[in-house]
Amino acid sequence: MVSAIPQTRPARTKKRVRSAPYIFIGLAVLYLLFFTAFPLLTGVNLSFTNSKLLNPSAGSYVGVDNYTALITSGAFMKSVYTTLIYTAATVIGCLVLGTASALVINGFLPGRAIARTIMVLPWAVPTVALALVFRWIYNDTNGIAGDVTQGLGLGQVGWLIDPNYGMLAVVIATVWKLAPFVMLIVLAALQSVPEELYEATRVDGADAFTTFKQIVLPQIAPTMRVVALLMTIWSFRRFEIIWLLTGGGPVDATTTIVINVYRQAFNNGNLGLAAAAGVLGLLLSLIVTVVYFFVEQRATKANGVES
Amino acid sequence: MIGRRNLSIGVRTLLALVLVILAGFPVFWMINTAMTPVDDLYSNNQRIIPDFSRTLNIFQVLVSDSPFLRWLGNSALVAGGTTLLSLLLACLAAYALSRYKFVGKGLMTFGFFATQMLPEALLIVPLYSMFMTLGLLNELYGLVLVNTAFAMPVAVFLLKSAMDTVPYEIEESARVDGCNALTILQVMFIPLIAPSLAAAAVITFFDGWNEYLFATTFIHDTSNWVASTGLASFIGEFTTPLDMVFSGAIVFTIPAAIFFLLMQRKIVAGLTAGSVKG
Repeated sequence: MVSAIPQTRPARTKKRVRSAPYIFIGLAVLYLLFFTAFPLLTGVNLSFTNSKLLNPSAGSYVGVDNYTALITSGAFMKSVYTTLIYTAATVIGCLVLGTASALVINGFLPGRAIARTIMVLPWAVPTVALALVFRWIYNDTNGIAGDVTQGLGLGQVGWLIDPNYGMLAVVIATVWKLAPFVMLIVLAALQSVPEELYEATRVDGADAFTTFKQIVLPQIAPTMRVVALLMTIWSFRRFEIIWLLTGGGPVDATTTIVINVYRQAFNNGNLGLAAAAGVLGLLLSLIVTVVYFFVEQRATKANGVES
Repeated sequence: MIGRRNLSIGVRTLLALVLVILAGFPVFWMINTAMTPVDDLYSNNQRIIPDFSRTLNIFQVLVSDSPFLRWLGNSALVAGGTTLLSLLLACLAAYALSRYKFVGKGLMTFGFFATQMLPEALLIVPLYSMFMTLGLLNELYGLVLVNTAFAMPVAVFLLKSAMDTVPYEIEESARVDGCNALTILQVMFIPLIAPSLAAAAVITFFDGWNEYLFATTFIHDTSNWVASTGLASFIGEFTTPLDMVFSGAIVFTIPAAIFFLLMQRKIVAGLTAGSVKG
Protein backbone atom coordinates (compact mmCIF):
# COMPACT_ATOMS: atom_id res chain seq x y z
CA MET A 1 0.00 0.00 0.00
CA VAL A 2 2.86 2.33 0.80
CA SER A 3 3.92 2.46 -2.83
CA ALA A 4 0.48 3.80 -3.71
CA ILE A 5 1.04 6.98 -1.74
CA PRO A 6 1.79 9.77 -4.16
CA GLN A 7 4.10 12.60 -3.21
CA THR A 8 1.99 15.69 -3.83
CA ARG A 9 -1.61 16.49 -3.13
CA PRO A 10 -2.98 17.04 -6.68
CA ALA A 11 -1.33 13.85 -7.84
CA ARG A 12 -2.72 11.99 -4.85
CA THR A 13 -6.29 12.97 -5.51
CA LYS A 14 -5.96 11.96 -9.12
CA LYS A 15 -4.30 8.65 -8.49
CA ARG A 16 -6.69 7.60 -5.78
CA VAL A 17 -9.37 6.67 -8.33
CA ARG A 18 -9.99 3.18 -7.06
CA SER A 19 -12.83 1.12 -5.80
CA ALA A 20 -12.65 2.57 -2.26
CA PRO A 21 -14.82 5.69 -2.82
CA TYR A 22 -17.42 3.64 -4.64
CA ILE A 23 -17.62 1.18 -1.77
CA PHE A 24 -17.93 4.00 0.77
CA ILE A 25 -20.59 5.95 -1.08
CA GLY A 26 -22.13 2.89 -2.69
CA LEU A 27 -24.12 1.82 0.36
CA ALA A 28 -25.83 5.20 0.66
CA VAL A 29 -26.42 5.42 -3.10
CA LEU A 30 -27.91 1.94 -3.31
CA TYR A 31 -30.06 2.72 -0.30
CA LEU A 32 -31.43 5.87 -1.94
CA LEU A 33 -31.90 4.11 -5.26
CA PHE A 34 -33.99 1.48 -3.52
CA PHE A 35 -36.04 3.72 -1.25
CA THR A 36 -36.42 6.89 -3.35
CA ALA A 37 -35.37 6.45 -6.99
CA PHE A 38 -37.12 3.12 -7.45
CA PRO A 39 -40.41 4.28 -5.86
CA LEU A 40 -40.12 7.47 -7.90
CA LEU A 41 -39.88 5.50 -11.15
CA THR A 42 -42.69 3.23 -10.00
CA GLY A 43 -44.70 6.37 -9.31
CA VAL A 44 -44.02 7.75 -12.78
CA ASN A 45 -44.97 4.37 -14.22
CA LEU A 46 -48.18 4.31 -12.15
CA SER A 47 -49.10 7.73 -13.52
CA PHE A 48 -49.64 6.14 -16.95
CA THR A 49 -52.00 3.49 -15.59
CA ASN A 50 -55.51 3.37 -14.15
CA SER A 51 -54.39 1.46 -11.03
CA LYS A 52 -56.60 1.43 -7.97
CA LEU A 53 -55.56 1.28 -4.32
CA LEU A 54 -57.52 -1.92 -3.64
CA ASN A 55 -55.68 -3.88 -6.31
CA PRO A 56 -52.60 -1.93 -7.40
CA SER A 57 -51.26 -4.53 -9.81
CA ALA A 58 -54.51 -4.89 -11.79
CA GLY A 59 -54.20 -1.53 -13.55
CA SER A 60 -53.63 -1.24 -17.27
CA TYR A 61 -51.82 1.40 -19.26
CA VAL A 62 -53.92 4.36 -20.31
CA GLY A 63 -51.22 6.51 -21.89
CA VAL A 64 -51.36 10.15 -20.92
CA ASP A 65 -55.06 10.00 -20.02
CA ASN A 66 -54.39 10.85 -16.37
CA TYR A 67 -52.39 13.91 -17.34
CA THR A 68 -55.00 15.19 -19.78
CA ALA A 69 -57.70 14.53 -17.19
CA LEU A 70 -55.79 16.53 -14.61
CA ILE A 71 -54.86 19.45 -16.82
CA THR A 72 -58.43 19.82 -18.06
CA SER A 73 -59.95 19.43 -14.58
CA GLY A 74 -60.74 22.57 -12.67
CA ALA A 75 -60.02 20.88 -9.33
CA PHE A 76 -56.41 20.06 -10.19
CA MET A 77 -55.66 23.45 -11.72
CA LYS A 78 -57.11 25.04 -8.61
CA SER A 79 -54.76 22.95 -6.45
CA VAL A 80 -51.83 24.24 -8.55
CA TYR A 81 -53.06 27.77 -7.98
CA THR A 82 -53.51 27.05 -4.24
CA THR A 83 -49.97 25.65 -4.07
CA LEU A 84 -48.56 28.78 -5.73
CA ILE A 85 -50.50 31.07 -3.38
CA TYR A 86 -49.46 29.07 -0.33
CA THR A 87 -45.84 29.00 -1.48
CA ALA A 88 -45.66 32.70 -2.30
CA ALA A 89 -47.31 33.69 0.98
CA THR A 90 -45.18 31.47 3.21
CA VAL A 91 -41.90 32.20 1.43
CA ILE A 92 -42.44 35.96 1.47
CA GLY A 93 -43.82 35.86 5.01
CA CYS A 94 -40.89 33.81 6.32
CA LEU A 95 -38.27 35.88 4.50
CA VAL A 96 -39.67 39.23 5.65
CA LEU A 97 -40.40 38.21 9.24
CA GLY A 98 -37.23 36.11 9.53
CA THR A 99 -34.98 38.87 8.17
CA ALA A 100 -36.67 41.53 10.30
CA SER A 101 -36.25 39.35 13.39
CA ALA A 102 -32.59 38.80 12.58
CA LEU A 103 -32.00 42.56 12.17
CA VAL A 104 -33.76 43.25 15.47
CA ILE A 105 -31.82 40.65 17.41
CA ASN A 106 -28.42 41.31 15.75
CA GLY A 107 -26.07 43.29 18.00
CA PHE A 108 -26.39 44.30 21.63
CA LEU A 109 -29.80 44.03 23.24
CA PRO A 110 -30.80 43.58 26.86
CA GLY A 111 -31.78 39.95 27.47
CA ARG A 112 -30.61 39.00 23.99
CA ALA A 113 -29.85 35.34 24.76
CA ILE A 114 -33.29 34.68 26.22
CA ALA A 115 -35.06 36.63 23.48
CA ARG A 116 -33.17 34.71 20.83
CA THR A 117 -34.01 31.36 22.41
CA ILE A 118 -37.72 32.12 22.58
CA MET A 119 -37.70 33.45 19.02
CA VAL A 120 -36.13 30.20 17.77
CA LEU A 121 -38.48 28.01 19.80
CA PRO A 122 -41.32 27.66 17.22
CA TRP A 123 -38.93 26.01 14.80
CA ALA A 124 -38.20 23.29 17.38
CA VAL A 125 -41.86 22.45 18.01
CA PRO A 126 -42.90 19.22 16.21
CA THR A 127 -45.53 19.77 13.52
CA VAL A 128 -48.09 17.55 15.20
CA ALA A 129 -47.85 19.55 18.44
CA LEU A 130 -48.04 22.76 16.43
CA ALA A 131 -51.18 21.55 14.68
CA LEU A 132 -52.83 20.65 17.98
CA VAL A 133 -52.19 24.04 19.55
CA PHE A 134 -53.11 26.05 16.45
CA ARG A 135 -56.35 24.12 16.00
CA TRP A 136 -57.18 25.03 19.57
CA ILE A 137 -56.20 28.67 19.07
CA TYR A 138 -58.31 28.81 15.88
CA ASN A 139 -61.24 26.93 17.48
CA ASP A 140 -64.40 28.66 16.31
CA THR A 141 -66.18 28.69 19.67
CA ASN A 142 -63.48 28.72 22.35
CA GLY A 143 -60.28 29.66 20.49
CA ILE A 144 -58.27 32.62 21.68
CA ALA A 145 -57.94 33.90 18.09
CA GLY A 146 -61.70 34.36 18.07
CA ASP A 147 -61.52 36.27 21.38
CA VAL A 148 -58.93 38.56 19.84
CA THR A 149 -60.93 39.26 16.68
CA GLN A 150 -64.04 39.88 18.77
CA GLY A 151 -62.07 42.22 21.00
CA LEU A 152 -60.97 44.11 17.89
CA GLY A 153 -64.58 44.37 16.78
CA LEU A 154 -64.07 42.04 13.81
CA GLY A 155 -66.47 39.50 15.18
CA GLN A 156 -65.96 35.74 15.44
CA VAL A 157 -63.82 34.48 12.56
CA GLY A 158 -64.18 30.83 11.57
CA TRP A 159 -60.46 30.40 10.93
CA LEU A 160 -60.66 26.73 10.04
CA ILE A 161 -64.26 26.53 8.80
CA ASP A 162 -64.57 29.67 6.66
CA PRO A 163 -63.08 29.17 3.16
CA ASN A 164 -62.02 32.82 3.15
CA TYR A 165 -59.75 32.34 6.15
CA GLY A 166 -58.49 28.75 5.80
CA MET A 167 -55.45 29.70 3.72
CA LEU A 168 -54.55 32.59 6.01
CA ALA A 169 -54.78 30.32 9.05
CA VAL A 170 -52.45 27.76 7.47
CA VAL A 171 -50.00 30.42 6.26
CA ILE A 172 -49.82 32.01 9.72
CA ALA A 173 -49.06 28.65 11.35
CA THR A 174 -46.41 27.85 8.71
CA VAL A 175 -44.72 31.23 8.99
CA TRP A 176 -44.77 30.94 12.77
CA LYS A 177 -42.84 27.68 12.55
CA LEU A 178 -40.41 28.53 9.75
CA ALA A 179 -39.59 32.24 10.07
CA PRO A 180 -37.23 31.39 12.99
CA PHE A 181 -35.28 29.11 10.65
CA VAL A 182 -34.79 32.02 8.23
CA MET A 183 -33.86 34.22 11.18
CA LEU A 184 -31.07 31.84 12.21
CA ILE A 185 -29.62 31.70 8.72
CA VAL A 186 -29.81 35.45 8.12
CA LEU A 187 -28.34 36.07 11.58
CA ALA A 188 -25.34 33.94 10.66
CA ALA A 189 -24.96 35.88 7.40
CA LEU A 190 -25.29 39.23 9.19
CA GLN A 191 -22.53 38.34 11.59
CA SER A 192 -20.17 37.90 8.68
CA VAL A 193 -20.78 41.50 7.51
CA PRO A 194 -17.58 43.39 8.43
CA GLU A 195 -18.06 45.96 11.19
CA GLU A 196 -16.06 48.54 9.16
CA LEU A 197 -18.87 48.71 6.62
CA TYR A 198 -21.28 49.84 9.31
CA GLU A 199 -18.74 52.33 10.64
CA ALA A 200 -18.34 53.89 7.22
CA THR A 201 -22.04 54.56 6.75
CA ARG A 202 -22.40 55.75 10.31
CA VAL A 203 -19.82 58.43 9.66
CA ASP A 204 -21.76 59.38 6.55
CA GLY A 205 -24.82 59.86 8.73
CA ALA A 206 -26.94 57.36 6.85
CA ASP A 207 -30.21 56.31 8.47
CA ALA A 208 -31.00 52.73 9.36
CA PHE A 209 -32.97 52.00 6.20
CA THR A 210 -30.26 53.32 3.88
CA THR A 211 -27.66 51.32 5.78
CA PHE A 212 -29.73 48.19 5.33
CA LYS A 213 -30.34 48.76 1.63
CA GLN A 214 -26.84 49.84 0.68
CA ILE A 215 -24.64 47.80 2.99
CA VAL A 216 -26.44 44.90 4.58
CA LEU A 217 -28.72 43.67 1.81
CA PRO A 218 -26.01 43.16 -0.83
CA GLN A 219 -23.97 41.22 1.73
CA ILE A 220 -26.77 38.85 2.69
CA ALA A 221 -28.41 38.61 -0.74
CA PRO A 222 -26.75 35.30 -1.78
CA THR A 223 -27.85 33.71 1.50
CA MET A 224 -31.37 35.02 1.02
CA ARG A 225 -31.52 33.51 -2.45
CA VAL A 226 -30.54 30.07 -1.16
CA VAL A 227 -33.07 30.32 1.65
CA ALA A 228 -35.75 31.43 -0.80
CA LEU A 229 -35.02 28.37 -2.96
CA LEU A 230 -35.12 25.97 -0.01
CA MET A 231 -38.31 27.50 1.36
CA THR A 232 -39.96 27.34 -2.07
CA ILE A 233 -39.08 23.69 -2.65
CA TRP A 234 -40.18 22.78 0.86
CA SER A 235 -43.45 24.68 0.44
CA PHE A 236 -44.28 22.80 -2.75
CA ARG A 237 -44.01 19.48 -0.97
CA ARG A 238 -45.23 20.47 2.51
CA PHE A 239 -47.95 18.14 3.66
CA GLU A 240 -48.17 17.72 7.40
CA ILE A 241 -49.02 21.25 8.60
CA ILE A 242 -51.80 21.65 6.05
CA TRP A 243 -53.16 18.13 6.44
CA LEU A 244 -53.28 18.29 10.23
CA LEU A 245 -54.73 21.80 10.39
CA THR A 246 -57.40 21.72 7.69
CA GLY A 247 -57.09 18.42 5.81
CA GLY A 248 -57.20 20.55 2.66
CA GLY A 249 -60.42 22.30 3.65
CA PRO A 250 -62.49 24.29 4.33
CA VAL A 251 -64.10 23.49 0.95
CA ASP A 252 -60.72 22.81 -0.71
CA ALA A 253 -59.42 26.26 0.24
CA THR A 254 -56.07 24.74 1.26
CA THR A 255 -55.96 21.73 -1.07
CA THR A 256 -52.45 22.01 -2.49
CA ILE A 257 -51.04 19.56 -5.02
CA VAL A 258 -49.64 17.17 -2.40
CA ILE A 259 -52.91 17.20 -0.43
CA ASN A 260 -54.65 16.45 -3.72
CA VAL A 261 -52.26 13.54 -4.36
CA TYR A 262 -52.83 12.04 -0.92
CA ARG A 263 -56.62 12.37 -1.06
CA GLN A 264 -56.75 10.99 -4.59
CA ALA A 265 -54.69 7.97 -3.55
CA PHE A 266 -55.94 7.13 -0.08
CA ASN A 267 -59.48 8.57 -0.01
CA ASN A 268 -60.54 7.95 -3.60
CA GLY A 269 -58.19 5.05 -4.31
CA ASN A 270 -57.13 6.37 -7.73
CA LEU A 271 -53.43 5.55 -7.63
CA GLY A 272 -52.80 6.36 -11.28
CA LEU A 273 -54.38 9.78 -11.10
CA ALA A 274 -52.65 10.52 -7.78
CA ALA A 275 -49.26 9.57 -9.20
CA ALA A 276 -49.78 11.82 -12.22
CA ALA A 277 -50.64 14.75 -9.96
CA GLY A 278 -47.52 14.04 -7.91
CA VAL A 279 -45.34 13.97 -11.02
CA LEU A 280 -46.70 17.35 -12.12
CA GLY A 281 -45.96 18.73 -8.64
CA LEU A 282 -42.41 17.45 -8.83
CA LEU A 283 -41.97 19.11 -12.25
CA LEU A 284 -42.96 22.40 -10.65
CA SER A 285 -40.14 22.01 -8.07
CA LEU A 286 -37.69 21.11 -10.82
CA ILE A 287 -38.59 24.20 -12.83
CA VAL A 288 -38.03 26.43 -9.80
CA THR A 289 -34.67 24.80 -9.07
CA VAL A 290 -33.50 25.19 -12.66
CA VAL A 291 -34.59 28.84 -12.70
CA TYR A 292 -32.76 29.38 -9.40
CA PHE A 293 -29.49 27.98 -10.72
CA PHE A 294 -29.89 30.07 -13.88
CA VAL A 295 -30.44 33.25 -11.89
CA GLU A 296 -27.62 32.36 -9.50
CA GLN A 297 -25.18 31.87 -12.38
CA ARG A 298 -26.08 35.21 -13.90
CA ALA A 299 -25.70 36.88 -10.51
CA THR A 300 -22.29 35.26 -10.06
CA LYS A 301 -21.20 36.39 -13.51
CA ALA A 302 -22.47 39.91 -12.89
CA ASN A 303 -20.49 40.12 -9.66
CA GLY A 304 -17.33 38.92 -11.34
CA VAL A 305 -15.44 35.97 -9.90
CA GLU A 306 -17.00 34.64 -6.76
CA SER A 307 -16.89 31.23 -5.23
CA MET B 1 -24.67 59.48 15.43
CA ILE B 2 -24.13 57.84 18.78
CA GLY B 3 -27.52 59.13 19.82
CA ARG B 4 -29.11 57.42 16.85
CA ARG B 5 -27.50 54.13 17.78
CA ASN B 6 -28.76 54.37 21.36
CA LEU B 7 -32.22 55.25 20.19
CA SER B 8 -32.25 52.27 17.91
CA ILE B 9 -31.50 50.01 20.86
CA GLY B 10 -34.69 51.25 22.51
CA VAL B 11 -36.74 50.65 19.38
CA ARG B 12 -35.11 47.28 18.82
CA THR B 13 -35.81 46.21 22.38
CA LEU B 14 -39.48 47.05 21.89
CA LEU B 15 -39.63 45.18 18.57
CA ALA B 16 -37.81 42.23 20.10
CA LEU B 17 -40.38 42.13 22.88
CA VAL B 18 -43.23 41.99 20.34
CA LEU B 19 -41.48 39.21 18.40
CA VAL B 20 -40.79 37.25 21.58
CA ILE B 21 -44.47 37.42 22.54
CA LEU B 22 -45.58 36.36 19.03
CA ALA B 23 -43.09 33.50 18.88
CA GLY B 24 -43.63 32.33 22.42
CA PHE B 25 -47.39 32.60 22.64
CA PRO B 26 -48.49 29.30 21.04
CA VAL B 27 -45.99 27.40 23.20
CA PHE B 28 -47.23 29.25 26.27
CA TRP B 29 -50.78 28.46 25.23
CA MET B 30 -49.93 24.78 24.95
CA ILE B 31 -48.68 24.83 28.54
CA ASN B 32 -51.59 26.93 29.75
CA THR B 33 -54.17 24.62 28.17
CA ALA B 34 -52.55 21.55 29.68
CA MET B 35 -52.69 23.17 33.12
CA THR B 36 -56.33 24.25 32.91
CA PRO B 37 -59.24 22.03 34.03
CA VAL B 38 -61.32 21.07 31.00
CA ASP B 39 -64.49 22.77 32.24
CA ASP B 40 -62.68 26.10 32.45
CA LEU B 41 -61.41 25.71 28.87
CA TYR B 42 -64.93 25.88 27.51
CA SER B 43 -66.10 28.68 29.77
CA ASN B 44 -66.03 32.32 28.85
CA ASN B 45 -63.34 33.36 31.26
CA GLN B 46 -60.34 31.25 30.34
CA ARG B 47 -57.29 31.21 32.55
CA ILE B 48 -54.38 33.08 31.10
CA ILE B 49 -51.98 32.05 33.82
CA PRO B 50 -51.13 28.35 33.96
CA ASP B 51 -52.20 26.53 37.12
CA PHE B 52 -48.95 24.69 37.73
CA SER B 53 -50.34 22.87 40.77
CA ARG B 54 -51.95 20.49 38.30
CA THR B 55 -48.65 19.51 36.69
CA LEU B 56 -48.05 16.21 38.45
CA ASN B 57 -51.67 15.17 38.34
CA ILE B 58 -52.15 15.78 34.64
CA PHE B 59 -49.08 13.83 33.61
CA GLN B 60 -50.15 10.94 35.82
CA VAL B 61 -53.52 10.87 34.07
CA LEU B 62 -51.81 10.98 30.69
CA VAL B 63 -49.65 7.97 31.50
CA SER B 64 -52.41 5.88 33.08
CA ASP B 65 -55.35 6.73 30.79
CA SER B 66 -53.73 6.48 27.36
CA PRO B 67 -51.09 4.30 25.71
CA PHE B 68 -48.99 7.45 25.40
CA LEU B 69 -45.90 6.03 27.10
CA ARG B 70 -45.94 3.10 24.73
CA TRP B 71 -46.25 5.46 21.75
CA LEU B 72 -43.36 7.55 23.05
CA GLY B 73 -41.30 4.39 23.38
CA ASN B 74 -42.13 3.45 19.79
CA SER B 75 -41.13 6.95 18.67
CA ALA B 76 -37.82 6.58 20.48
CA LEU B 77 -37.21 3.21 18.80
CA VAL B 78 -38.00 4.56 15.33
CA ALA B 79 -35.95 7.71 15.91
CA GLY B 80 -33.02 5.80 17.40
CA GLY B 81 -33.00 3.31 14.54
CA THR B 82 -33.19 6.12 11.99
CA THR B 83 -30.23 7.84 13.65
CA LEU B 84 -28.00 4.75 13.73
CA LEU B 85 -28.72 3.69 10.16
CA SER B 86 -28.47 7.24 8.77
CA LEU B 87 -25.18 8.01 10.48
CA LEU B 88 -23.60 4.72 9.43
CA LEU B 89 -24.48 5.29 5.77
CA ALA B 90 -23.77 9.04 5.91
CA CYS B 91 -20.31 8.74 7.52
CA LEU B 92 -19.09 6.46 4.76
CA ALA B 93 -20.68 8.52 1.97
CA ALA B 94 -19.41 11.81 3.40
CA TYR B 95 -15.89 10.41 3.64
CA ALA B 96 -15.97 9.44 -0.02
CA LEU B 97 -17.29 12.87 -1.03
CA SER B 98 -14.79 14.72 1.11
CA ARG B 99 -11.61 12.78 0.38
CA TYR B 100 -11.86 11.27 -3.08
CA LYS B 101 -12.32 12.38 -6.63
CA PHE B 102 -14.21 9.88 -8.70
CA VAL B 103 -16.37 9.59 -11.78
CA GLY B 104 -20.01 10.31 -10.99
CA LYS B 105 -19.27 12.36 -7.87
CA GLY B 106 -21.17 15.41 -9.13
CA LEU B 107 -24.13 13.31 -10.16
CA MET B 108 -24.26 11.58 -6.79
CA THR B 109 -24.04 14.90 -4.94
CA PHE B 110 -26.94 16.17 -7.01
CA GLY B 111 -28.80 12.95 -6.27
CA PHE B 112 -28.43 13.51 -2.53
CA PHE B 113 -29.70 17.09 -2.92
CA ALA B 114 -32.57 16.03 -5.16
CA THR B 115 -34.06 13.93 -2.35
CA GLN B 116 -34.89 17.25 -0.66
CA MET B 117 -37.21 17.99 -3.54
CA LEU B 118 -39.19 14.77 -3.65
CA PRO B 119 -42.71 15.09 -2.31
CA GLU B 120 -43.34 12.31 0.21
CA ALA B 121 -46.95 12.30 -0.95
CA LEU B 122 -45.83 11.10 -4.39
CA LEU B 123 -43.43 8.44 -3.09
CA ILE B 124 -45.82 7.16 -0.47
CA VAL B 125 -48.05 5.37 -3.00
CA PRO B 126 -45.31 3.21 -4.56
CA LEU B 127 -43.63 2.81 -1.17
CA TYR B 128 -46.90 1.57 0.29
CA SER B 129 -47.24 -1.20 -2.29
CA MET B 130 -43.53 -1.98 -2.01
CA PHE B 131 -43.80 -2.31 1.78
CA MET B 132 -46.91 -4.43 1.40
CA THR B 133 -44.98 -6.86 -0.82
CA LEU B 134 -42.00 -6.94 1.55
CA GLY B 135 -44.17 -7.34 4.65
CA LEU B 136 -42.90 -4.07 6.14
CA LEU B 137 -46.29 -2.49 6.76
CA ASN B 138 -47.24 -2.16 10.41
CA GLU B 139 -43.62 -2.67 11.46
CA LEU B 140 -41.60 -0.06 13.33
CA TYR B 141 -38.43 -0.97 11.43
CA GLY B 142 -40.30 -0.26 8.21
CA LEU B 143 -40.57 3.34 9.42
CA VAL B 144 -36.84 3.32 10.24
CA LEU B 145 -36.07 2.27 6.67
CA VAL B 146 -38.21 4.95 5.04
CA ASN B 147 -37.22 7.76 7.45
CA THR B 148 -33.55 7.03 6.82
CA ALA B 149 -34.04 7.66 3.11
CA PHE B 150 -35.09 11.24 3.86
CA ALA B 151 -32.85 11.98 6.86
CA MET B 152 -29.57 10.50 5.65
CA PRO B 153 -28.82 12.91 2.75
CA VAL B 154 -28.91 15.88 5.15
CA ALA B 155 -26.45 14.08 7.42
CA VAL B 156 -24.21 13.42 4.42
CA PHE B 157 -23.93 17.15 3.61
CA LEU B 158 -23.36 18.10 7.22
CA LEU B 159 -20.66 15.50 7.75
CA LYS B 160 -18.99 16.20 4.42
CA SER B 161 -18.54 19.88 5.24
CA ALA B 162 -17.16 18.92 8.66
CA MET B 163 -14.71 16.45 7.12
CA ASP B 164 -13.60 19.07 4.59
CA THR B 165 -12.13 21.08 7.47
CA VAL B 166 -9.93 18.21 8.68
CA PRO B 167 -6.38 18.76 7.32
CA TYR B 168 -4.96 16.17 4.94
CA GLU B 169 -1.76 15.89 6.96
CA ILE B 170 -3.58 14.05 9.74
CA GLU B 171 -4.54 11.08 7.65
CA GLU B 172 -1.27 11.20 5.75
CA SER B 173 0.72 10.04 8.77
CA ALA B 174 -1.83 7.34 9.50
CA ARG B 175 -1.61 6.14 5.92
CA VAL B 176 2.15 5.90 6.14
CA ASP B 177 1.64 3.77 9.24
CA GLY B 178 -0.34 1.38 7.05
CA CYS B 179 -3.82 2.17 8.25
CA ASN B 180 -6.53 1.58 5.67
CA ALA B 181 -9.20 4.16 4.88
CA LEU B 182 -11.82 2.58 7.11
CA THR B 183 -9.52 2.63 10.14
CA ILE B 184 -8.57 6.23 9.40
CA LEU B 185 -12.25 7.14 9.24
CA GLN B 186 -12.98 5.39 12.53
CA VAL B 187 -9.98 6.36 14.57
CA MET B 188 -9.02 9.78 13.24
CA PHE B 189 -12.07 11.38 11.64
CA ILE B 190 -14.88 10.44 13.96
CA PRO B 191 -13.33 12.07 17.07
CA LEU B 192 -12.38 15.20 15.09
CA ILE B 193 -15.84 15.77 13.69
CA ALA B 194 -17.66 14.74 16.89
CA PRO B 195 -19.62 18.04 17.23
CA SER B 196 -20.98 17.77 13.69
CA LEU B 197 -21.71 14.11 14.22
CA ALA B 198 -23.75 15.08 17.27
CA ALA B 199 -25.64 17.68 15.23
CA ALA B 200 -26.30 15.11 12.51
CA ALA B 201 -27.52 12.71 15.18
CA VAL B 202 -29.96 15.32 16.51
CA ILE B 203 -31.29 16.12 13.03
CA THR B 204 -31.82 12.50 12.05
CA PHE B 205 -33.23 11.56 15.46
CA PHE B 206 -35.89 14.24 15.31
CA ASP B 207 -36.64 13.53 11.67
CA GLY B 208 -37.72 10.12 12.92
CA TRP B 209 -39.29 11.51 16.10
CA ASN B 210 -41.47 14.13 14.37
CA GLU B 211 -42.37 12.22 11.22
CA TYR B 212 -46.11 11.79 10.75
CA LEU B 213 -47.09 11.02 7.14
CA PHE B 214 -45.44 7.62 6.77
CA ALA B 215 -46.24 6.65 10.35
CA THR B 216 -49.94 7.32 9.91
CA THR B 217 -50.14 5.60 6.53
CA PHE B 218 -48.02 2.52 7.21
CA ILE B 219 -48.93 1.63 10.81
CA HIS B 220 -52.45 0.41 11.51
CA ASP B 221 -52.23 -1.26 14.95
CA THR B 222 -52.68 1.34 17.67
CA SER B 223 -50.15 -0.53 19.81
CA ASN B 224 -47.52 0.08 17.12
CA TRP B 225 -48.38 3.76 16.73
CA VAL B 226 -45.71 6.34 17.37
CA ALA B 227 -46.35 9.46 19.44
CA SER B 228 -46.97 11.71 16.40
CA THR B 229 -49.76 9.42 15.13
CA GLY B 230 -51.13 8.99 18.62
CA LEU B 231 -51.26 12.72 19.26
CA ALA B 232 -52.73 13.46 15.85
CA SER B 233 -55.46 10.90 16.51
CA PHE B 234 -56.71 13.22 19.27
CA ILE B 235 -57.46 15.84 16.59
CA GLY B 236 -61.11 16.12 15.76
CA GLU B 237 -62.34 13.67 18.38
CA PHE B 238 -63.80 14.90 21.61
CA THR B 239 -63.39 11.92 23.88
CA THR B 240 -59.87 12.77 25.05
CA PRO B 241 -59.80 15.69 27.51
CA LEU B 242 -57.91 18.66 26.08
CA ASP B 243 -55.66 19.09 29.11
CA MET B 244 -54.47 15.53 28.60
CA VAL B 245 -53.95 16.08 24.87
CA PHE B 246 -51.78 19.10 25.54
CA SER B 247 -49.80 17.49 28.31
CA GLY B 248 -49.00 14.81 25.72
CA ALA B 249 -48.01 17.49 23.22
CA ILE B 250 -45.68 19.03 25.82
CA VAL B 251 -44.00 15.72 26.62
CA PHE B 252 -43.59 15.11 22.89
CA THR B 253 -42.17 18.61 22.29
CA ILE B 254 -39.71 18.94 25.18
CA PRO B 255 -36.94 16.59 23.98
CA ALA B 256 -37.11 18.00 20.45
CA ALA B 257 -37.08 21.59 21.68
CA ILE B 258 -34.14 21.13 24.05
CA PHE B 259 -31.91 19.40 21.52
CA PHE B 260 -32.82 21.72 18.66
CA LEU B 261 -32.09 24.79 20.76
CA LEU B 262 -28.74 23.37 21.88
CA MET B 263 -27.73 22.45 18.34
CA GLN B 264 -29.39 25.27 16.35
CA ARG B 265 -26.27 26.67 14.69
CA LYS B 266 -24.96 23.28 13.58
CA ILE B 267 -28.37 22.22 12.33
CA VAL B 268 -28.77 25.33 10.21
CA ALA B 269 -25.32 24.72 8.77
CA GLY B 270 -26.29 21.15 7.93
CA LEU B 271 -29.59 22.00 6.32
CA THR B 272 -28.05 24.64 4.08
CA ALA B 273 -24.64 23.06 3.45
CA GLY B 274 -25.94 20.89 0.64
CA SER B 275 -27.25 23.75 -1.41
CA VAL B 276 -24.70 26.40 -0.48
CA LYS B 277 -21.59 24.37 -1.03
CA GLY B 278 -22.75 21.43 -3.13
